Amino acid sequence: MTDLTTIPSAAPDHRQRSPLHYAWRRLVANRAAVVGGAVLILLVLMAIFAPLITKSPPTAQDFLGEALAFPSATHWFGVDDLGRDFFSRIVYGARVSLSIGFSAAVFSVLIGIPLGALAGYYEGRTDWIVMRIIEIFSVVPPLLAAMLLGALVGGGFWMIVFIAGLFGWVQVCLLVRAQIKAFKEKEFVRAAQALGAGPGYIIRRHLIPNSVSPIIVGFVLAIPLAMMLEASLSFLGIGVAPPTPSWGQMINTGMSFMYFYWHLAVFPTLALAISVMATTLFGDGLRDALDPTMKGK
Amino acid sequence: MIPFILRRLISVSVTFVIVSILIFAMMHSIPGGPFDAGDMPLPPEVRATLNERYGLDQSLFTQYINYMSGVLRFDFGIPFQSPGETVLELLGRAWVPSLVLGGLGVLIGTPLGILLGIAAALRRNTWVDYLASAVATLGLTIPVFVTSMILILVFAVWLDWVPASGWGSPDKWILPIVAYATIPMATYARYTRSAMLDTLNKPFVTVLRAKGLSETRIIYQHVLRNSAIPMVTVFLPMFIGTATGSIFVEAIFRVPGLGAYFVSSIRTRDYPLEMALMLMLTVMFCLAYLISDILYAWLNPRIRAGGRKG
Amino acid sequence: MTAALELRGLCKSYPLREPGGWLPRYRQLPVVRDVDLTVERNSIVGLVGESGSGKTTTGMMALRLTQPTAGSVFVGGVDITSMDAAALKPFRARMQVVFQDSYSALDPMFTLAQIVAEPLHIHGLGTTREQTKTALDWLERVGLHRSYGSRYPHELSGGQRQRVAIARALVLRPDVLIADEPTSALDVSVKAQIINLLQDLQAEMGLSILFISHDLSVVRSLTDKVAVMFNGRIVEEAATEDIFTSAQHPYTRSLLQAIPVLNPRDRKDRVFRSREELEADIPRLSAADTGLTPADVPRLIPHGPGHRFEAIVQ
Repeated sequence: MTDLTTIPSAAPDHRQRSPLHYAWRRLVANRAAVVGGAVLILLVLMAIFAPLITKSPPTAQDFLGEALAFPSATHWFGVDDLGRDFFSRIVYGARVSLSIGFSAAVFSVLIGIPLGALAGYYEGRTDWIVMRIIEIFSVVPPLLAAMLLGALVGGGFWMIVFIAGLFGWVQVCLLVRAQIKAFKEKEFVRAAQALGAGPGYIIRRHLIPNSVSPIIVGFVLAIPLAMMLEASLSFLGIGVAPPTPSWGQMINTGMSFMYFYWHLAVFPTLALAISVMATTLFGDGLRDALDPTMKGK
Repeated sequence: MIPFILRRLISVSVTFVIVSILIFAMMHSIPGGPFDAGDMPLPPEVRATLNERYGLDQSLFTQYINYMSGVLRFDFGIPFQSPGETVLELLGRAWVPSLVLGGLGVLIGTPLGILLGIAAALRRNTWVDYLASAVATLGLTIPVFVTSMILILVFAVWLDWVPASGWGSPDKWILPIVAYATIPMATYARYTRSAMLDTLNKPFVTVLRAKGLSETRIIYQHVLRNSAIPMVTVFLPMFIGTATGSIFVEAIFRVPGLGAYFVSSIRTRDYPLEMALMLMLTVMFCLAYLISDILYAWLNPRIRAGGRKG
Repeated sequence: MTAALELRGLCKSYPLREPGGWLPRYRQLPVVRDVDLTVERNSIVGLVGESGSGKTTTGMMALRLTQPTAGSVFVGGVDITSMDAAALKPFRARMQVVFQDSYSALDPMFTLAQIVAEPLHIHGLGTTREQTKTALDWLERVGLHRSYGSRYPHELSGGQRQRVAIARALVLRPDVLIADEPTSALDVSVKAQIINLLQDLQAEMGLSILFISHDLSVVRSLTDKVAVMFNGRIVEEAATEDIFTSAQHPYTRSLLQAIPVLNPRDRKDRVFRSREELEADIPRLSAADTGLTPADVPRLIPHGPGHRFEAIVQ
């Protein structure tokens, strides 16, 4: 019998497509997700370059003489009740919303990954404890608890980030836990165990890198939740303190002026709606693209 | 089945106790009691007497135990902001608007959503489908208070068809009910559509068609039943969540419901009211999830046959 | 000479929850019952049986990836059954494994070079550069070009992945290799390549291999000794040729009969029996004839050099 083992493998000629490539194709095919993503990028750019596109700072009451003016060529979104250019307020409000959204999402992920990893890997009692904690966070209506916490610690940027992060981690945790449970039984984990690798090493170097998809999805979907929570708290007056512009706060003010000065209510409402929608659509699209077991829509 | 129910009951009770402790602790850590500041600065002796009368000078632990033993007898104390009645009575009063508006919202939104979902699934990839899916997505992604604002702006301010706020005559109810209805409608539309599409693709439906059953019969008798289980179990938490009143909807439409009272109770540090509200809502959600779990386990024929869950 | 790997009285049972009832009640489901197996140095032992016979579990227990309910595992004469993780680590380096499913045996996020170098990394041997060089050397040794080092598992075929798995298993130069159905998922031609690879490496390195399989024809060409498992017990054990020519236990015989036969004329004599029949068919020997002590339970009876099978002595 010819010796079949020493067929010299020639250097391989073409690279095969990675699963990421197919995921990208799926994402791009999802029109809603693409639009959402584009809008999101636009918002981020707008927030970053805010000083460049606005004519006056959002807290400057430069236009008291024209207070409550309707949108015009000079003031694209009009002027608010305290004489501030409304367009700047909206644009700077994007900064507040997006930064809180992203920071809170980071925070959620930082809490969710370790808890999810521990619950998924160790199962048994550890899992039970984590699920109880999740249950505690699920039965309390998040907004009410946030209000209580908010009243407790006062407002402030980082407090809101903390509180929003506190209610977003559950989703990330569940996603990571499911992924790790699924991958724990795979042979490469057993091979690593057979090599003498400890649980910490296995979780760190094998399981978590393989959980990148759910982590990304969890992160992106946590952003609109955080943005909503911030807007809600600001709407109720216990979020971001004036004069820092926050869309939630602006909606609250806008409500009082709604009948006669529609622009004060419409623009922040639209801004919030569009941001939340865009991020959610993009996040949903990401999840569908990265999860090939998605059922036909 | 019974052991399963008992286990869940115990688990939920533990959660509830922990949550009640946390809420109690948080509430009492907010600096300042109900009599400290505010419109009527009180002389210290009066404050001390009041604090004593309401038991606020005792240790937190004692206060907690006293409170919880009262709760078990359905005695939630007396709200500071309206001492003429008990918390229970106040809540009973306050719940009516929330229940009416929220409840009607869910009761109207759910069937609408289901119909929308069925229509979308049956006319897949036509304009009906796209419209329904768009509506569903919008309903779910746009936050409730934004929807409310938009509703007011369009129908009350601009078109002036309906009054914008208040609680009293039924025409004031229309907008809030629509606002409340959006989430159930969107949720059920989306869910029904995907569940039906799943089931319609299953082999047993092809068999039914081959047998000669009419399409309508197939849908109503077979497909819906299969998809129904998760839809039923999700209903209860959703109903509870909406019927307890959204803080925003009530603030925007100026409805004196539970949400509005919650906000005011935090502002005035009205401990009994606050605590009762949080507890009540937590209990209702706990129960809602518990019942859904049990309902799901019961309806799921695999579990009913005596096997293990899942 | 001490055996490379010795299993004594290995047992494994899993607790099954009884449905219903108020408090949880468990009954034990035995999966492996009292297995004794020895793998001498520089030899290949086959462990065959159908799915569910417990052979994979036995292999996992030998590696201490599953904890035995009872019994002992000896590596190079040392009892590793109850060692803690720290003490076990050096022994882990002496015992490695190749799995059946090559796709899930390799971390999709690691490059091939990283995969093969990982054992060195875990045991802290050499600098990163040295580890990479050793890894690439091994890739060549198993028949893959060095440049494959920067590729990922999903870019390879099943056979190529299995080669990588073998490289990874051998990079630490273990004494014992446990191969759990390494060729079962491969095409016939690729099977042969992998078998040849294993034979070459075994001869070169003086490896001891425990080759777990359900495929008797593969086992015949590769192993020195075969143990047959059924229902969690070893029912027959002998030198490879003896199993194929003079099998004593009815289960072994039915396994042999099930090997596909090319010549239609030879197929006629095969008889297939149900599981219940097989379970009930334990050979009975008389104490008088064999001079052995009678017992009610079946046990392994010697039958010639290195050959034993399970029977009841009455």
